[in-house]
Amino acid sequence: MTQFLSYAIPGLPYGCVFALMAVGLVLTYQTSGVFNLAYGAQAYASALIFYVCVNAGWPNWAGFLAAVVVGAPLLGLAMDRFLYRFIRSAPVLVKLVSALGMLIAIPSVLQLIFGSGQRLAPPSLWLPPGSVYFHVAGDAINGTELSTVIVTLAVVLLLSIMSHFTQIGLRMRAMAESPRMVQLAGVNSERVGVAIWILSSFLAGLAGVLLAPLFADLQALNFTDLLVAAIAAAAVGSLTSLPFAFWGGIGLGVIQELLGGYLPSGTVLSSGLRPALPFAVLLALLLLLPGLRERWFHTDPLAGCDPPPPPMAATIGGYGLERLLRVVGCLVLVVFFVSCLTWVPANWTFTLTQGLAYSIVFLSIVLLTGMSGQISLCQASFAGIGAFTCAQLATHFGISVLVGIVAGGAVAALVGVVVALPALRLGGLALALATLAFGLLADNVGFQFSWSGNGDSGVNIPRPQLGSINFTSGKAFFVLAFLALGVCAAVVVAIRRGTTGRELAAMRGSELAAASIGVNLTRLKITVFAVAAALAGVGGAIFGSLQGAVSPNDFNSFLSLVFMVVVVTTGVYTVEGAIEAGMAYVILYQVLDYLPSQWSNLFPILFGLGAVTYALHPEGLVEWQKRRVIERLVAWRGNPQVVA
Amino acid sequence: MALLDAAGISKRFGGIVALEDVSVAVAPGEAVGLVGPNGAGKTTLFDCLDGVRHPDAGEVRFEGRRIDRLALFERARLGIGRTFQRLELFAGMSPREHLLVADRVHRADGRLWRDLIGRGRAGATVGRVEELLGELGLADVADDPIETLSQGHGRLVELGRALVQDPLLLLLDEPSSGLDTSETAAFAKVLLAARARRQTAVLLVEHDLALVRMVVERAYVLDFGKLIASGPVDEVLADAAVRRAYLGDLP
Repeated sequence: MTQFLSYAIPGLPYGCVFALMAVGLVLTYQTSGVFNLAYGAQAYASALIFYVCVNAGWPNWAGFLAAVVVGAPLLGLAMDRFLYRFIRSAPVLVKLVSALGMLIAIPSVLQLIFGSGQRLAPPSLWLPPGSVYFHVAGDAINGTELSTVIVTLAVVLLLSIMSHFTQIGLRMRAMAESPRMVQLAGVNSERVGVAIWILSSFLAGLAGVLLAPLFADLQALNFTDLLVAAIAAAAVGSLTSLPFAFWGGIGLGVIQELLGGYLPSGTVLSSGLRPALPFAVLLALLLLLPGLRERWFHTDPLAGCDPPPPPMAATIGGYGLERLLRVVGCLVLVVFFVSCLTWVPANWTFTLTQGLAYSIVFLSIVLLTGMSGQISLCQASFAGIGAFTCAQLATHFGISVLVGIVAGGAVAALVGVVVALPALRLGGLALALATLAFGLLADNVGFQFSWSGNGDSGVNIPRPQLGSINFTSGKAFFVLAFLALGVCAAVVVAIRRGTTGRELAAMRGSELAAASIGVNLTRLKITVFAVAAALAGVGGAIFGSLQGAVSPNDFNSFLSLVFMVVVVTTGVYTVEGAIEAGMAYVILYQVLDYLPSQWSNLFPILFGLGAVTYALHPEGLVEWQKRRVIERLVAWRGNPQVVA
Repeated sequence: MALLDAAGISKRFGGIVALEDVSVAVAPGEAVGLVGPNGAGKTTLFDCLDGVRHPDAGEVRFEGRRIDRLALFERARLGIGRTFQRLELFAGMSPREHLLVADRVHRADGRLWRDLIGRGRAGATVGRVEELLGELGLADVADDPIETLSQGHGRLVELGRALVQDPLLLLLDEPSSGLDTSETAAFAKVLLAARARRQTAVLLVEHDLALVRMVVERAYVLDFGKLIASGPVDEVLADAAVRRAYLGDLP
């Protein structure tokens, strides 16, 4: 018992932080219908501001005021007023992508303002972390732990008093039950909504400041993990119940520490599974909890379905213009190809070859999200599976890398089927969360074994060789990647034109109606998931072979989120969109590399904000601009006298 | 032999009995009505017939074959077409695309490798689709996005989407709901013409009794999940129990 307690008690502070976040998430999700994925970024923002204030010599209480009492609600309100307010009745894909954009942009904006150096030893909110106050079952309770628990208890007490004994508390509880009924009862639900948003942002800020000192340094990534832990806790209460979310959070923190204590130390399982427990719990809850699964089908009937994409830029000018554009497109391709083989410097050829590999990975997002309306947040993990399969086959079995690339795609497809099978009955938000959890599990556990990604040391992938043809030189490999992208793009185009593409479009429009005309949704979803995973796997393997060596860090799950926003920004409906995304991704990276290091933050900011525009331009910014140019062209050609 | 033969269908949701021992049959080419007040279980019965839901008890036979364990899409492939009370259309597609998709799904086996070798495109069916668009009176709006069309057009697109697959049986769930009188009349006209051409059997759920009289020969009446009357449509609608179910106890 003593041993049990000594393992369990250090989990309480983590549990408290998870619980605060979970409660805040459920509050806003219930009342506004927006699943605020940017919640982790809000927590990070407060933690960072608190750190900066205290390091500038402010007293703790002043830093707390600035970061949590003023800063956090301001940020939350700004997000609600300028973004979420407008997309409350938007389809789930729009909401998710917009929130994802914020999650990625906010930390970078902050680092651009406050500098992006390493921040060691984040300060404790209240009691000093160094001093030990008392011992429970042999555990020394330090100031950070004690203050976390005390502050959480105080806040929860205040919250429950407020919700039961005040007007605004009553209205908030009513809003959480049914925003529509509150409106019908004549309450200004907009005002209550703002109050809830302030409250939930405050909770995020508080959780952020409390969590920071539990780690050695302040990193944005820790807060993404915190977000997923909070989602898992919220899932315990089916994303609806506040008490369940709270106790879910506490339980998660405690079980996490228990696992760390009882699992044999020194193995991948104990080092990986302990931090990954929330992801495993989230995945399990999503797949097993019937109440949670049912919930996705009882969504707001007034919420729209995915907006119909406007006509593709290439199709609006009529047949003649379409042919002209095709010719121009081919010319661009030829010029690009010849240039890379002749005058382009070697380091840029390398960069552009990376772009080709990324384009293949991004094709999988076009297929899944653009063509099928499914959202997967683990495409980087599939790319990793492809790369590691290829590497292991080449180094341990001496199998040709070319075969390895194909095998990488095949293995990724198999894993894709395994992921898709249980996730099939989920859709929209649940599928997004389940794939996010899967990606994090792959990061923390799956890729840590020596037979897969081999942890931080990574694995080597040689360049391929085919008989006498050697792809070791940069230019030869460029040709290989170019051809591979061509084949993959042809596959996606063939699927789109074929029956499968039509079935996907129908499924995207209405699953019930698609089934009623004889579409086998189960097979269709498994197929599309497997093909997408295979594309990502092939892209990942080619990327790995280009780099020569890859580690799980090259395919971490945060990258999956970045991939998503990048493709959505350029154009998620077209094959060109994926290629533009791949090229933009690497070229921008390379260009920002020439600037002072601070500016590298511009990258996530640009694409993060780009993703936010998905609500307005679901076809993507690049595609939208192309359409504008062509529309002008058509107008000019149509009435030359007007222009003259 | 009946085309569709459902016997002893029961379905409960928690403590609520939605259907209790309901038996209906539709002969080939026959048009049958299913009427009853709101909440009588009509849509639930439809769902059990075509596989959106599975009944707790009873069996459904189609052309003599047990189908009650088959999924919705499998029953659709056997020849059961369906329209929905709340429109279920494919967002972002035009009426023409709706029909083309349904037609292609009907003809192709949907295997991925056929798409990859360019054989996924089933034979020339554009002509059939054009003809059907004309028959439905949708030729003028055939290329408009579905979001811009009226409810009446939406009903016709759903009807066309089912008809293009040459179903043996059509399940129509309150096609007149949300339509005005002229739209309902237009729908009835198209439906009658389509029936005259194809002899498709129809099971029609409907509140608009004029439409029911116009289309069907025979009707069933459901009330609180139980069958309370069945027979030729005029007799059934004149029946005292039916009037009570709809209008309450008359003094």
